[in-house]
Amino acid sequence: MNALAALETGLLLGLYALLAGIWGVLFALAQLREMSIFRQSATVAYGLHAVAALAIVLSTPLGLGWKCLIVGSSLAFLALPPMTWRFLQHTHRDGVSQHDRKSSQHTARVVAGL
Amino acid sequence: MYRSQTLALKYFAAAITFFGVMTLTGLLSSYYYINPDFLFGILPFNIMKILHINTLVIWLLMGFMGSIYWFLPGELGRETAGIRAAEMLFYVFCAAVAVVAVVFVFVQYGGSNAVALWLINQGRKYVEAPRWAALGIVVIMVVFAYNVIGTAIAARKTTGIITVLMIDLVPLMLLYLIAFPAITNMSADLFWWWWLVHLWVEATWEVLIGCIMALALMQLLGTSRRIVEAWLYIEVALVLGTGILGLGHHYFWIGTPGYWLTIGGFFSALEPLPLLGMVVHAVYDAGAQHMKTTNRPALYWMMAEAFGNFIGAGVWGFMITLPQVNLYAHGTQWTVSHGHFAFWGAYACGIISVLYLVLQRVRDLAVVEGQLWKWSFAALNLGLVGMTGALLVSGFVQAFVERAIGGSTLSAFISAQENAWFVDGMVTRFLLAIVFTAGYVVLVWDVLTLGRRVPAAAVASAAE
Amino acid sequence: MGFDDPAFWRAGAISTITVMSIVLIMLTIDSLAAISPGGSHVPPYTVINQHIDYKFDSNRGFDVPVIGGPEPLFGTTLDEPAAAVLIDRGKMVIQSRACIDCHTFFGNGAYYAPDLTKAWLDPDWEGWQAVTGADTREGAMVKFLMDPEQYRTWTRAMPNLRITEAEAQSVVAYLKWMAAVDTNGFPPNFNQIEKQR
Repeated sequence: MNALAALETGLLLGLYALLAGIWGVLFALAQLREMSIFRQSATVAYGLHAVAALAIVLSTPLGLGWKCLIVGSSLAFLALPPMTWRFLQHTHRDGVSQHDRKSSQHTARVVAGL
Repeated sequence: MYRSQTLALKYFAAAITFFGVMTLTGLLSSYYYINPDFLFGILPFNIMKILHINTLVIWLLMGFMGSIYWFLPGELGRETAGIRAAEMLFYVFCAAVAVVAVVFVFVQYGGSNAVALWLINQGRKYVEAPRWAALGIVVIMVVFAYNVIGTAIAARKTTGIITVLMIDLVPLMLLYLIAFPAITNMSADLFWWWWLVHLWVEATWEVLIGCIMALALMQLLGTSRRIVEAWLYIEVALVLGTGILGLGHHYFWIGTPGYWLTIGGFFSALEPLPLLGMVVHAVYDAGAQHMKTTNRPALYWMMAEAFGNFIGAGVWGFMITLPQVNLYAHGTQWTVSHGHFAFWGAYACGIISVLYLVLQRVRDLAVVEGQLWKWSFAALNLGLVGMTGALLVSGFVQAFVERAIGGSTLSAFISAQENAWFVDGMVTRFLLAIVFTAGYVVLVWDVLTLGRRVPAAAVASAAE
Repeated sequence: MGFDDPAFWRAGAISTITVMSIVLIMLTIDSLAAISPGGSHVPPYTVINQHIDYKFDSNRGFDVPVIGGPEPLFGTTLDEPAAAVLIDRGKMVIQSRACIDCHTFFGNGAYYAPDLTKAWLDPDWEGWQAVTGADTREGAMVKFLMDPEQYRTWTRAMPNLRITEAEAQSVVAYLKWMAAVDTNGFPPNFNQIEKQR
């Protein structure tokens, strides 16, 4: 493998992961604020992440197995923020119940004890 | 306040002190690259580096212990079991660290015999402390584990978080035993050494900080126990599910079979996934509070933990984890760039967050506010990210010039070190280290004066 | 047990950790055999009696160590127990002086000084024989280790660590043995420029 190509692959992999993170953050902000700018930015961020994934598949000297891993990870990165968000909403909705009241009483006792 | 919480304050004080030693020795270590005659013949680079990386481990361990000693009584509803032993051992711990450091500085090394390993320097990275001190650490950890487990037994109760913590402490302690043997075969030495280092910082420590953050979230945001427990189990499953075999990313080049390149590369490439989940979770938590809380520094440092962990450990690690890239990046300043960012994001930010939570209670503050925490937050994070960026430049150049072009010979090493871009990166790193150090000074100032500062208006009215 | 029940995720965590740990233990047992001296990747300590080279293997696609004919170190052929004693001593020197906190070994350690994985094979030693007045490569290495400040390589110097001659010889033996370990091609392109000359 050409050394410079290998090193450039490293930087591209970092960009790929960073863009996945930016997509996740913007997705979460879009859910919180419901402003179109966040939704659009999130889409752009994931789009750029997909471009990075494509660049890795088409232009880096990684083997086929590794390229499949990149594509698979991209799909996982796409699904992860919405799944996480839905589960957060679900658990927090559930939390407004006996469990939460018990927990806040517990917390009050802790604070009083301090 | 429980005695356990008083002890927690002592551990936090010691942790912040050793954080300062780490920062100072880091600053000085980085200066050697700029002035190679610095302390030559007096204090060699390796001793300064040993001080830097050992205080890193010590301050974080003390921060973990302080956090657990703080939260434990509230969790289990009673004083920590074995607290007297723990109180005494705190002073022994601090004294031992001081003695070890003094011997490192003034004795530095002995002969090639067991006496030197027992009394002076064991010469294995992160665990250079002589065997007598390593034994001391084992005792301290055993007592700490007793403090946690014994309290649960005495209270006849446990919680999900404490159960995870108790189970996590067992492998954490057992792994430390790897600090003892002197293994002749370097391949075997590094094989086991990586069990200790990786399964600490990419497994058991992650579970430990996860438990601490769960406890902190309940206090900071009033999050329900059921929620933090469910998320703790998810995090443990994903982090250990990827991290246990992710250990293989340290087994590419140490003489181990080639299947580790596939296994290690594959599993460690998955490691960023749970970290992204944590980032989304952090944004949710911040948003649910509209970033309003009675303790903004604690919230901001907790956000820094989630983001720093993802970027420092996740993104930076992802750059160099595939073996095709690692072949060139291995053992260069690129590794250093990743290491600094990862430790900072994964652990340091979380400890500082808990520190502010504790301070709010101790100083009896309805609201934690002020300018100082903002300045230290900015300087520490900008300094750290700046250092990381500078090291990335130097590391990339070193990977190319030394490994790719030069083939890693002695001359190739020198060529890379003298490369203009490399040098600029190391100078920039040093300058940003000064920024980081300034941020540390402001942090200490804030910690010492929080809740004790007289507001300007009160001073003015008193003067009238 | 539903998704919102912590017990579900607790079960998931326990099963995941169990499976991964079992696989790690199995792979560890296999690897320990490979990395023992005389195993598939790590040569016996008596390799220090032989010529060592590092050549491209077209099957594997990278450089691998090549063990050649007799080439005794310091003019003496050692049997297995004697070689083990010498290598053992070499590792004790390396640990007692904390070499790994300036240098890297298989790329692990600190980055202030060069990687020592293939230091035994470094082309620079030929020149150092003349500088140190030594007859052999190992002689030059010993002289350097005993007084690195006298034989400075560049502006960043190695300090004198009070290494005795016997200790220096054991370190050189250690480095020769290390150069024969199969590291899956690390470091890459070693000495390619020299080989092309």
